[in-house]
Amino acid sequence: MAETTSIADTQDIELRASIDRSLRHPVMFFFTSGAVWLALAIVLGLVASAKKHSPEFLECFSFLDAGKVDAAHMSALVYGWGAQAAFGMIIWFMARLSRKTCTASGTILFAGHLWNFGVMVGVGFILAGEGSGVAYMEFPMPVWPVLFFAFILITVWSLIQFQVRDAGHVYVSQWYLLAAMLWFPWVFITAWFFVFVLDGNPVMVAGIASWFKATLFLLFFLPVALASAYYLAPKVTGGPVHSYNLALFGFWALAFLGPWAGMQKLMGAPIPQFLPYAGAAAMVLILIPAIAVGVNILKTVIGQTDVVAQSPSLRFTAFGVVAFVIFGVLSCGLHTTNALKMVQFSYTGYGMDILGLYGVFSLCAFGAIYFIVPRITRREWLSRRFIRWHYYLSLYGVAAIVVCAIVGGVMQGAGIEDVSQPFGTMSRFASSYGWGVTLAWGFLLFANLFFCLHLLLMWARLGRRSSHPTLLKSHHASNPHGPDGEVDNYDTPTASSAH
Amino acid sequence: MTFKAFIFGLLASFGFPWLVAVVIPFAKMRSLEPVKFAEGSDQSGPYIPARDGRVTEGSKIYGQEGCATCHTQVIRPTYAGNDIHREGWAGLQASLDNPDTRRATFANDFRGEKVAHIGMSRVGPDLANLGRRLETHLKGDGQTPLEWVMLHLYNPRSTPNYADNQTIPDRSSCPSKNGLFNVVPDYQGRGGALKVEAPEGKAVVPTDRARALASYLVSLKKDMLNQPVPASLNTNPKAAASAK
Repeated sequence: MAETTSIADTQDIELRASIDRSLRHPVMFFFTSGAVWLALAIVLGLVASAKKHSPEFLECFSFLDAGKVDAAHMSALVYGWGAQAAFGMIIWFMARLSRKTCTASGTILFAGHLWNFGVMVGVGFILAGEGSGVAYMEFPMPVWPVLFFAFILITVWSLIQFQVRDAGHVYVSQWYLLAAMLWFPWVFITAWFFVFVLDGNPVMVAGIASWFKATLFLLFFLPVALASAYYLAPKVTGGPVHSYNLALFGFWALAFLGPWAGMQKLMGAPIPQFLPYAGAAAMVLILIPAIAVGVNILKTVIGQTDVVAQSPSLRFTAFGVVAFVIFGVLSCGLHTTNALKMVQFSYTGYGMDILGLYGVFSLCAFGAIYFIVPRITRREWLSRRFIRWHYYLSLYGVAAIVVCAIVGGVMQGAGIEDVSQPFGTMSRFASSYGWGVTLAWGFLLFANLFFCLHLLLMWARLGRRSSHPTLLKSHHASNPHGPDGEVDNYDTPTASSAH
Repeated sequence: MTFKAFIFGLLASFGFPWLVAVVIPFAKMRSLEPVKFAEGSDQSGPYIPARDGRVTEGSKIYGQEGCATCHTQVIRPTYAGNDIHREGWAGLQASLDNPDTRRATFANDFRGEKVAHIGMSRVGPDLANLGRRLETHLKGDGQTPLEWVMLHLYNPRSTPNYADNQTIPDRSSCPSKNGLFNVVPDYQGRGGALKVEAPEGKAVVPTDRARALASYLVSLKKDMLNQPVPASLNTNPKAAASAK
């Protein structure tokens, strides 16, 4: 009996190793180029934020003027970093969960370059003042089909892997990944077609662009982040997900609410009145999936606080999930009709965007990257200190941006709503919070320097040749990933680690 | 949950809102009924606020330059905000010269534009009625709205920071769009140069993009001067009636 188990284990380890080997190049490409885009996005964010309170900053460079740099910042963050990190996560998680090696890594790598090219051209055109001019969809019109084509080439293999997998259990992570892979093209094509191809009423075009922005987060970035959380939490702690039914409920709650969100940005604009209300209602109710997912993941890891503290993957993931709960609570409070009057056109929207993209998605993505990279490079992370710095700076950076933008935004909005106050007073008042946001982007820049450098070293295969995972503690008394052994050995609680 | 049920659930949960909140409203809004004056009033026919200037081109440049990041162009009805009550934003208040022309934004305000620049935030003031506000504000100053806008684009801190019909002595936080201007050798009799300090023998002239953008900005008007607002758009019918 013991012998059969060990043969099965060996086969299992070999399968996992071959999956990792088959995906090594595309996944590393997505993570490293994503990290470089993230650094660029942060620099642009710093400039954009600084220009809100100090308009003379870098005035000599006309391509960096406020407005354009804002658009370039968000586009680099969403398509350069966010989408690429998501691609890396999707293809790796799907291959591992479907237990199939990837046979198309060359095509994926090509498509990854194509995606990068598209994003580069798009950001370049935005900075040159030749973007599309549509808020939230600033890339010029021809870039979108290129990105779409690249997306299909990257993800179609994961769908095939899922289809040809050996019949068996479908994991919670797989629901989220599958849904994200179906939602993304649907949202993307709809937005592109209605905004750029068809000739529509200008207000509705603006509405669809807002819908695109909201659904891209709720139905693509968020599901990928949650897929990662549902993968890592049980994997690293070695226990099952707390409640299957709660996971099911959280998933469908998001699926039913997500598609309605977005048009609350146009509250009071001349579009059919139910659209902004439906959007606002969806954003209020997003608290439901946030609590369902939050409770489920945190209950999964709660008994093992030392594991959470020691595993970089789990630390980032747990904080990402907490950020999702905070996102839900704030979204619920800020989208009621009275609050929306104030925050609709204030800094608050930016704070929520960053909380979603950086607080929820990126932190979960960092967690996934700290888990995946050692497996595909077969090297361990070099420096515990780098990871720790990355963690704390990210945490404080995101928190500072969110607090400054949301508190400042609420005050700014309340001031604008108070017609007895002159308008100019309010914008001056809000600009002091703008300083806080700029400073916080500085924190994140440092955080990302540690991360980017560390990742590039791993990419160059300069990681530690060790079978010990890099844990955030000073000695290896007990290993939460199971017993020490080959790199592939510690990621699943196998029969040998069950004792 | 079977795979079939899963896919059906996804199609249904996304497909329904997709149809109801995106496709159908889009199709319906392609052919909107024009807003008409009530039968029997002094005015008749559709209410179409006049717009002149390089609207389509200027609107595109407005978007490309990212003006919508900090400026909105929407006057929300009172259920959604207090915009109508900010002086000048929504139209002109009743006076001896004109009836009350304040109203919320309606779809026809964006006629000729590819996308309505509703805007992301109000770091700067709303621009929905900028053209008319400037006209009122600059009356008797000897400066036209177009000249003011050009100067503001080139150096926002050279023009008085003007919002709510109040000249605030403080500095504007608007960034300069100096990339839309060229510094060229000056010669006697050159027209179109900005009245700003330039290096010796040089003049600052707007590019074509700047001209289009400025033309678009001064075309932003919520009202037809001295024309009442149709009853269906009027938020303050009593004031309009008493002004007559």
